[in-house]
Amino acid sequence: MIDLQTWIDWAGGPLFRAALAFMLLGLARRAALNAWEIVRAWRRAGDKQLPWRAVLRATLRWLFPLGQVGNRALFSATTLLFHAAVILVPLFLAGHVALWQPWLGIAWPVMPSALATALTVAAVVAALGLVIQRAASRATRALSRLEDYALPIVVGLPFLTGLLVMHPGWNPFSYQWTMLAHVLSADLLLVLFPLTKLSHMVLLPATQLVSELAWHFPPDAGSRVAAALRKEGEPI
Amino acid sequence: MLDRLSLLKTILWALVGVLAAVSVVRFAFGLGAVTNLSDAAPWGLWVALDVMAGVALAAGGFVVAAAVYVFHLEQYRPFVRAAILTALLGYAAVAAGLLYDLGLPWHIWHPMIYWQHHSVLFEVALCVMFYLTVLALEFAPAVLEHPCFARPAFQTIARGLRQATLPLVVAGIVLSTLHQSSLGSLFLITPYRLHALWYSPILYVLFFVSAVALGLATLIAESLLSSFFYRHKAPLRLLSGLGLGAAVVLALYALLRLGDLAWRGQLGACFDGSWLSRMFLFEMALSTLIPMALLCVPRVRSSLAGLALCAGLIVAGMVLYRVDVCLVAFARPEGSGYFPTWMEIAVSLGLLAACVLVFLFLVERLRVYDDPHVRGAPQPSYDPATLHNLLPDELAAPRRYSLAALLGGCLAVVFLPLGAPQPVATAALPARAAAGIAENRQGEPGQTLAFAVPDRPLPADAQPASLLVIDGNRDGQMVLFNHGAHIGRMGRHESCALCHHLSLPLDRNTSCFECHRDVYGPTPLFRHESHVKALGGNAGCRQCHADDSLPKTYETSTACDQCHRLQVASAALVPAPAARWHPAPGYVDAMHGLCVNCHEKSAREAPEHYSPLLSRCDHCHDPDRAEQRQPLAPSRP
Repeated sequence: MIDLQTWIDWAGGPLFRAALAFMLLGLARRAALNAWEIVRAWRRAGDKQLPWRAVLRATLRWLFPLGQVGNRALFSATTLLFHAAVILVPLFLAGHVALWQPWLGIAWPVMPSALATALTVAAVVAALGLVIQRAASRATRALSRLEDYALPIVVGLPFLTGLLVMHPGWNPFSYQWTMLAHVLSADLLLVLFPLTKLSHMVLLPATQLVSELAWHFPPDAGSRVAAALRKEGEPI
Repeated sequence: MLDRLSLLKTILWALVGVLAAVSVVRFAFGLGAVTNLSDAAPWGLWVALDVMAGVALAAGGFVVAAAVYVFHLEQYRPFVRAAILTALLGYAAVAAGLLYDLGLPWHIWHPMIYWQHHSVLFEVALCVMFYLTVLALEFAPAVLEHPCFARPAFQTIARGLRQATLPLVVAGIVLSTLHQSSLGSLFLITPYRLHALWYSPILYVLFFVSAVALGLATLIAESLLSSFFYRHKAPLRLLSGLGLGAAVVLALYALLRLGDLAWRGQLGACFDGSWLSRMFLFEMALSTLIPMALLCVPRVRSSLAGLALCAGLIVAGMVLYRVDVCLVAFARPEGSGYFPTWMEIAVSLGLLAACVLVFLFLVERLRVYDDPHVRGAPQPSYDPATLHNLLPDELAAPRRYSLAALLGGCLAVVFLPLGAPQPVATAALPARAAAGIAENRQGEPGQTLAFAVPDRPLPADAQPASLLVIDGNRDGQMVLFNHGAHIGRMGRHESCALCHHLSLPLDRNTSCFECHRDVYGPTPLFRHESHVKALGGNAGCRQCHADDSLPKTYETSTACDQCHRLQVASAALVPAPAARWHPAPGYVDAMHGLCVNCHEKSAREAPEHYSPLLSRCDHCHDPDRAEQRQPLAPSRP
């Protein structure tokens, strides 16, 4: 029987390295395939005149969702809070920086512990809020797949367990089991990045360009569709 | 659903991914990190499989070239390009495998400059380099046929190369003959290491003949596999001709190998029942006797299944022959058994996979086989009901294969060591008490210590002494320590704490070994889990990690001596452990820290009492004395 600490070290060591490598290389792969498809679509397009300026403006506009609050203010605010928490806490938590430091040999500024706790609570609450708001509206319900409900929960798990690990006094479970759950759920999250829509973290900057390119058909697209429908020569 | 070709490529890409991950560790941290190789077993799987078997598997190249260009067996011309390509890739894999196996891979070019003409390996190295070049030139015309190279300059080169075909073929045959046999000659200097059933003065002939058979079998297997994966008809009539050729060569090989054993009177050793004799019988049956017998039957020879079976047997058996000579039947010093690590196997498989992928890539784009496998560009089509595009997704293949390689590589990362291998921990032996004598000899500093021999009278000027025998690294070179005299000299029992810095509660003479458990490596003393239990689970965390807001590290936790006040003797000669305890140093460092400092200090500060020799290593470590007393030493536990 191997003791629990050995499993924690394994999940935070070799398994974490593999998950991290999978996330980084996998995201690079997604970005490369995306770029390949963009180039391919552009080379086939009959109309190669792209409204670059408009595409750039739309891209920038959607990168900062505050301007898009519109008619779903609560949803936008939850999303923003959720993103701020899930990006900042893992990178700037003092305990995480202390783990990176011997491995990378560099340290970077850490966030105050109280802020980390507050943001972690926010991440958990926002994750639940996202699921509830998605389920509450008929329009979003119609658009959602199982993945869309499951991902906020999966993203929230390492934050919930991390909160309990950070404050053992609040933790009704064994410290080591909580730590193992924390590390394993984080590993799972890293693996899921390139495989699910979480890969929007690298694909987002190109989404507007892709949408634009989708309307630039190959020059003979019309006649090929007509041929496939066996309606050649018929008036449109 | 994946078709069989895509499935094959997916698996191959996953293997290449594993290869990539292992390669990073191999070249970043050296051979020791990924292999079981050692000074006693310096040649392992990579030499046996990638070099020995790899060269032999590629022998089809020169055999078919000789058949077509020298013996004018024109019907085999369709195989020439595939055979040359296989040989080219095989030798490229040999070179790549060597890069993994060489301790200093960046020295691989050395044989070109530093000639060692007494060395068989030098000849092999030069031949392989030359032959790789020859093969590249032989295959170049096929590449230059591709539309990419339509420019006249390239076509001039292609014409020149085509005119040079015959000289190139002849050079290829000569070079192959030389080094295929030389790989066997390598083992001629090991008549006492290689088992008698494998060692032979004609080892080089056996290697050459078996390589010819193996090369033919590889060609058959490759042609059958290619027809299976690309779903085209295999040229059965030609393949059965190759099969017949293989049978003839196998017969020659069996005659030579068994005849040589009989000639040297070793044939009886095949049946002596040892497991190597059984291995020999298994290898001979697999590689030679069964396929030879089967290939002699025309019905087997002209059937797809029969040819596939025979080619498979020959390939497996002849590769086993190389592995046997190189590893299995090769005696090594006792206790230095070798079995490859999973990483060594992964590298061999990965190189093979990479070769197959390059082979498939070229077969799909160049005219390697006569009927091209290039599938025409798909016609556009739409499902009229749904208007869905029915075109195959052009990026499906890159998407699938890159994911397969990524998954393979990251799966390997989980199990890869990250760093050079750590030295194996050597547990220290606890010091033990022994009855001894202390003798004041003329001209020697201090006392000379010896074990007491029962029933022998004490020499003059000698007193009985209570000794400690310290043999931390278990090599029999013990240090004898006069414990009784040190007690007297340091100030009776009040002085225990000068050496024995206590670490177990209320214990006054804890053995050094309790904390300094390893001879050279430090021993961690702090056990987190037992503290968690003792302090009552999560509720107790705050006793050491007072501030939740700080990361729970060594530096931010309560110091040990805040609770364990009585456990560190303040009078210890060695600096008392810091408030934050570090791992206990290794046994050697602890002993040296304890003895050397005090000896040096005494010799320096009280020269009227102590000789300057007191601070020398050989005052305690006296190899002559230890050897002399060795027979008197009590048997070690």
